[in-house]
Amino acid sequence: MRKRTMLPRSMTMMLTTLTLGLTTLSSGLAVAAKGPALQSGNEYMVVANYPNQLHVLDLQTDTVYKSCDMPGRFGPGALQVAPDNKTAYILNNGYEDIYGVDMDTCEVIFHAEMAQSYKERTKTMYAFALSYDGKELYAVQNPTLMERDHYVVQPTRLAVYNTDAGLDAKPTRMLPSPRLVTAMQMGKDGGLYMAGADIYKMDVHSGEYEVAVPSRNWQRERYVQPDVLNVWAVQTPTQDFTILYTTARFQEGSEDLNTADWLYGYFNINLVTGATETKDFGPLTEIYFTGTRNPKDPNIMYGVLNRLAKYDIDKQTLLNAAELDHSYYCVTVNHSGSKVYLAGTHNHVAVFDADSLEHLNTIELPGGDMSTTTAQVFIR
Amino acid sequence: MKNFKLPRLTGGLLLAGVILPVSAVQAADAEAIIQTKCMACHTQEQAEPLEMSRMSHQRKTPEGWLMTIARMQVMHGLDVSDEERRTLVKYFADKQGLAPEETAGARYALERRLNTMESFESANFEQMCARCHSGARVELQRRPAEEWKHLVNFHLGQWPSLEYQAQARDRDWMGLAFKQMVPELASNFPLQSASWDNWQKVTKVPVSGSWSFSAQMPVKGDARGVMTITGGKGDQYQVSIDGEYADGSALKGSGTAIVYTGYEWRANLTVDGVKMRQVFALSADGAELTGRMFETIHDEAGMDFAAVRSGSSPTLLSVQPEFIRAGSTQVLTLVGTGLGKQISLGDGVSVVSEIYRDDNKVVVQATANNKAQLGPRNVDAGKATGATLNVYNNVDRINVVPSFAVARVGGNGGSTPKYNAYFQAEAWMNGADGQPDTADDMRIGYVPAKWHVEPFNEQAAVDRDVHFTGRMDEKTGVFTTAGAGPNPERRMSTNNAGNLKVIADVMDGDKALSAEGQMIVTVQRWNNPPLP
Repeated sequence: MRKRTMLPRSMTMMLTTLTLGLTTLSSGLAVAAKGPALQSGNEYMVVANYPNQLHVLDLQTDTVYKSCDMPGRFGPGALQVAPDNKTAYILNNGYEDIYGVDMDTCEVIFHAEMAQSYKERTKTMYAFALSYDGKELYAVQNPTLMERDHYVVQPTRLAVYNTDAGLDAKPTRMLPSPRLVTAMQMGKDGGLYMAGADIYKMDVHSGEYEVAVPSRNWQRERYVQPDVLNVWAVQTPTQDFTILYTTARFQEGSEDLNTADWLYGYFNINLVTGATETKDFGPLTEIYFTGTRNPKDPNIMYGVLNRLAKYDIDKQTLLNAAELDHSYYCVTVNHSGSKVYLAGTHNHVAVFDADSLEHLNTIELPGGDMSTTTAQVFIR
Repeated sequence: MKNFKLPRLTGGLLLAGVILPVSAVQAADAEAIIQTKCMACHTQEQAEPLEMSRMSHQRKTPEGWLMTIARMQVMHGLDVSDEERRTLVKYFADKQGLAPEETAGARYALERRLNTMESFESANFEQMCARCHSGARVELQRRPAEEWKHLVNFHLGQWPSLEYQAQARDRDWMGLAFKQMVPELASNFPLQSASWDNWQKVTKVPVSGSWSFSAQMPVKGDARGVMTITGGKGDQYQVSIDGEYADGSALKGSGTAIVYTGYEWRANLTVDGVKMRQVFALSADGAELTGRMFETIHDEAGMDFAAVRSGSSPTLLSVQPEFIRAGSTQVLTLVGTGLGKQISLGDGVSVVSEIYRDDNKVVVQATANNKAQLGPRNVDAGKATGATLNVYNNVDRINVVPSFAVARVGGNGGSTPKYNAYFQAEAWMNGADGQPDTADDMRIGYVPAKWHVEPFNEQAAVDRDVHFTGRMDEKTGVFTTAGAGPNPERRMSTNNAGNLKVIADVMDGDKALSAEGQMIVTVQRWNNPPLP
């Protein structure tokens, strides 16, 4: 693995050096490294990829607006955009560090190592979020104590950081957390929604939490336990926290999986109102890694992995599906609801017409694979 | 990390006999290495006899110890030479190995039979352990509860994503692992066992001598010959084989071997120009070696192998071929040692003439009358017994063996070779009830077939799996997979994976028979340690 990334990395360095050499003659080194600041009111998307860059895409023109080099090593490249729409937080360095980046300047302004001691190896499995005011960052950490001749897995914990804590940020408090948490989002009321075995809502001050939306432990008559895995906490224009599930519903009076209806559905939490939903949206015929609704028509659900599919939620029918040139993991929609963007895998961000699913464009990123990066759309 | 060459390590283990000086296998040398190289992390619990934290509280196969020590090198900075590693593997396998009966149900993993479909009574064991690697890898270890607990901590600490995966995220994985699996494993695979206590007391028998062997493999069918083993100092040997396949072609090779734990035979040979390995177990009385001989690079290509030591009690290893049609006359070769003059093929089957005889085989012309009792019968050559001959009158059906196979794309500039698939057509009689798959069915044996593949289902047809996944050799039943990597000619540039029916067409006289198996062609096995 290491050897493979070496070549692209050194190639990038060579190209960067070349570019720097040329730009130094004209406009100066500092400008080239920072790139242009984002324009207030414009819509952007942020993604990350190998070798280790963060890219801001201009959604007016569907082009790469700027690229920032990231510290450490790439992976997984999960992203959250702060409420200031200026700072992006990225989980990288093998799931072990979170960095805050000023997208205007490419400057790294925040860094927190998940491990809290030299004996710890601590990973965050995509589970981080920002407070509604952007002042705090929350991360669920999976620590392992590396003793001399054995490991001891530690309980998971929620570490809370001040986002102004700089480049050696330490938690201001740590609270016990349920295990298996992946995606998280903050509600307007200050409750932290954590998607794990169930979707919990935690008071980030007391550490108390309750089940906001039951998942593993749902009690839906004739339904089997759903399967949920979502590592993409997509921040939507409508501030909906949406997570897909798959399940099976037995026929009335039967417990036979062979005759059951296999279904796709979604959990939703409206982060503004706190309203929750658990709703099937169609038959399970293929796998989607992510799903999101159209901000201008919440009855439309998009799902993506090997096809881009579009569902009418109320009618529970597939309206349309677009064939893809390769798999994509992460689907998101622009604020007006006119375009669907696909990211993850390769270095292509594919753009589709939200209505017709016509392929409009593919934005090619400099660098390599996006892995499981989170594509986030925002207006500066 | 993944690029670390575990295949090289596998070779290292088996090459031990080539490079290792005899003196280095002394326990004192191993303990000196341990006290020099392992103390940074491990604690000496006792000096005489030496006991160290963790490592003194586990028992494993040679492959198991190799994987552990290799992991210490890859992940924990252990700095040992290849020779030191070999010394350690030998030391641990001898001192803390598994008794023969403790490996009995899991030897397929040691023998690199990677197409084995495992099945376990404990659903927990299957889902908690055998979900990611073979269950055999676990069954080939012995630990007390505390060490199984360390293993759970190691797993979750090393691969934190494992509890998020399917068949883990639906349960309290960590709770189950500690509260249920640790006691279950400590009970089923304990450090202390009567088998091991007894095995340690058994006087180990040197393997040197002349051995008569019998083998069976796809493509070539039956094989037999003589294996000569010399040496033995420090459990290291030279080995040569000199034999023939059923078609008369030669089977010749030589190499070196090492015996671990008093019975685990591991050899590296070059056979007819191809590098091969032997993974055999020596029987407790030292009279038989059984296991598998397979190609080093393509370990899917191999033969079942059994050998008996010349001069041990008379034994018949096999009758080749293992079947004769009632009412026919044919040549049979009896393979074994101490084969007596009096050949008994059972009622209704008689020797017409003896064509050839040496210490290891007897070739006879045999005839089976029309009324000979159908089914298997014991065959004797004087006092030598142990093999059967199947009498049949009619092939009722064919089975494709294996009925389900996994092949893997490879090569094409990638780091992983192709994993091809080998099929044989097995003839059966339905027995008195005339129904297939009932208790009175009688196996006949492997017969020649004409082979082809078809799409397994509609999706496979649409995706043109037959075209993309590889080629079936019509005569040999060998499926050679296509190259690895994305294929721009396929939908979404997917790789050359697919789902196929494997069809064998057999003619029994004028009667055409056909059988169907399934093969999935899938992606490379990226992580391919000595124990799958």
